[in-house]
Amino acid sequence: MQRVITVSLNGNAYQLEDDAYPALTTYLDESLRALAANPDQAEIMADLEQAIADKCARYLNPHKTVLARAEIDQVIAEMGPVADEASERAARATPGGSSPAAGEPTITGAAAPEAAPRRLYQISEGAIVSGVCNGIAAYFKVDVTLVRVIFVVLLFLTGGVVLLAYLVLMFVVPYASTSEEHAEARGLPFNARALVERAKQKYSEFRKGPDWQRSRAEWRKEWRRARAEWRLEWRRARAEWRAHRRYQRGPAPPFPPPPAGPVPAPVPYAAHIVTGTVLAVLGLVLALFTIGWLLALASLVMTGAVFGWPLPHDVPFWVAIVALIVLYNLVVWPIKAARRAAYYPGSAYHAPWIAAWDSIVGLAILAAVLWYAYGHVPEVRDFFDHLRHLWAHSFGATPLDSASRQL
Amino acid sequence: MDIDQKFSPIRKGLLEFLVLKIVSGTTVYVADILKRLSGTEFATQEGTLYPLLSRLRREGLVDYEWQESGAGPPRKYYRLTAAGQSELAELDEYWARINKTVAALGI
Repeated sequence: MQRVITVSLNGNAYQLEDDAYPALTTYLDESLRALAANPDQAEIMADLEQAIADKCARYLNPHKTVLARAEIDQVIAEMGPVADEASERAARATPGGSSPAAGEPTITGAAAPEAAPRRLYQISEGAIVSGVCNGIAAYFKVDVTLVRVIFVVLLFLTGGVVLLAYLVLMFVVPYASTSEEHAEARGLPFNARALVERAKQKYSEFRKGPDWQRSRAEWRKEWRRARAEWRLEWRRARAEWRAHRRYQRGPAPPFPPPPAGPVPAPVPYAAHIVTGTVLAVLGLVLALFTIGWLLALASLVMTGAVFGWPLPHDVPFWVAIVALIVLYNLVVWPIKAARRAAYYPGSAYHAPWIAAWDSIVGLAILAAVLWYAYGHVPEVRDFFDHLRHLWAHSFGATPLDSASRQL
Repeated sequence: MDIDQKFSPIRKGLLEFLVLKIVSGTTVYVADILKRLSGTEFATQEGTLYPLLSRLRREGLVDYEWQESGAGPPRKYYRLTAAGQSELAELDEYWARINKTVAALGI
């Protein structure tokens, strides 16, 4: 189901589907701008509106009274960008005036890439989780695979902090739903000609070679590189481990050089167990706090209240979000500090293993909690299933919407 | 650069000439002009044609009158003015000269 917007084209009412409206207004706005220097601007605009209306009428009959997005796109493509010589001359007269291509007739078929506004959006087409990586890739004009690989690498390097960033972005960054927003997400100019040019380019790319073949080659390259890195890392780790064994057993090893400070005392085996247990318990506590915090955030976003506790009237929405984040960090900081302290009983050589154990426990807790919640808490299941709807409904009309789009 | 692009300024410049030619025959409205040009090298669109016609009218070469159409709202029917006639004759002559030159230079 779509909302319907009624517009008047040269004095006649036409009904458009919600997402067709911005395409039409964009076209008319650009026409108006192109005719800015034309003395007959109003008359030409009326002619154009009438021509659009005639083209629209073709799609309508007593059993179909609303125009769909694709039909409006088709009409705009047929109309062609408005080229006005008067405005063109004015643009050319100003030194370094904006691209003369803006006023060139369609028969040239040439489009100069204009500097188009770019914004960060989530793009759900081809998304794996929510479309954040997709949106970032579009924003920086890089392949989404690259962004995903970087994301996964960062996930391990930062111990999951990136995941938090992802969740925040998932909430804050809007989805690109209209083609206008899609164009913005990719920094492409949005007008009828650009659309046609893009279609042509896509077509010629398509003819050069199937897209999937190229992307498969890219995937292979990515995979090979990741494997090479992994092998290198593994060899380094093994060399260190061997050197460590040699160092413990006897004669001074050639590699690595013995540490300058006092030699760490061998740690009793029991200490490792205690360290592991303490880490696991603290990890569980941390996870519980994090889950509570995320639920608080979710309830704030969805209902405007934290677990049914409404915000005071003079506290804006974003302040509450910031306060929650600060509060979480304050509460969690001692736990994190304690966890860090737990590493100390282990010697420097054991730290990587403890860290690995810690990560595994952390991931296991996360997975278990998510799995349990998904299976037993309908709200959580709904939350995951309808994340997009939640976004649209809770953010659609709040002032945060416009602010977050600046992100 | 393909041939299409090489000749794009020429096609652009000729569009006015061709529109005057089309208008000179009978009174026509915009869809007629578009139809006559579609399928030729000079195929164009409303976005280009309306501003061009408005300029020709400002220059006094064409004029239009409203005519009721069988279905839908009244349409603007364009016709050539006297000034347009003489302009078209000059353009025709010039175009013939260009053609002759091009033919004379070639093999």
